[in-house]
Amino acid sequence: MSKFSIEQKTNGAAEVFYLNGFLDAHTAPLLESAIAGAIGESKHHIVVNFQDLEYISSAGLGVFMVFIEEVRATGGDIKLAAMKQKVFTVFDLLGFPMLFDITETEQEALSKFSS
Amino acid sequence: MQAPMPLSSERLAAFGDTTELERIRQFVEEQAREFGFADQWIHKIALAVDEACSNLIRHSYNSDASREFYVDISKQDTETLVIEISDSGSSFDPMTVPAPNLQQYAAQHRKGGFGVHIIRMVMDGIEYLPADPAHPMNRLRLVKRLS
Repeated sequence: MSKFSIEQKTNGAAEVFYLNGFLDAHTAPLLESAIAGAIGESKHHIVVNFQDLEYISSAGLGVFMVFIEEVRATGGDIKLAAMKQKVFTVFDLLGFPMLFDITETEQEALSKFSS
Repeated sequence: MQAPMPLSSERLAAFGDTTELERIRQFVEEQAREFGFADQWIHKIALAVDEACSNLIRHSYNSDASREFYVDISKQDTETLVIEISDSGSSFDPMTVPAPNLQQYAAQHRKGGFGVHIIRMVMDGIEYLPADPAHPMNRLRLVKRLS
């Protein structure tokens, strides 16, 4: 079974999700619940840190598609940070860099919220 | 004309449950590595097969873990790896799925429909063969060449 875990921390006005392991059709519902939980608490400044994520399939990418418009409609965003090259490749294959703010570091994503 | 006999072939039997995806990816990665693909292609080939199997498990088998499908990987020649996914669901040609429109999908809060696009981007050849009297299972044949 795919290994996947999420850790969530509050950093100022932003919620940061740290993803670890393998994000596929089996594990994507966990991420969807976690982000839905934050949005349900009106936390719309979201950063997702991919540093420890080893794999993503389109089921994982789909989670961000579900929420991005809703979050932006309230003035927030979902910023994606610190991806390994092979994870970024999947976002890139589908043209996601055109739609999402993808940063090199978590700090860079956080600073965009505070600027 | 009959298809040429493959040089070798390996089969993985899997069930209609997304917990199977990791085992499927590992199987594909092992075979692709042994065939001589570079790391970046091993990852992409495993991703394409993951996408095909995820669609099959969720949409064709409705996540029914009692239903079985097969992933067969054969070395057609020294340059060509063929991955065939056989299922007993209703016939559905994934190649009829249109390319996704990201802006539209975001506006519609859509989370699916990307898998087929990934398969198209990664593989060199895609062929869908619905079940017929001679072949009782649907077959999705994915081809990737070394160069």
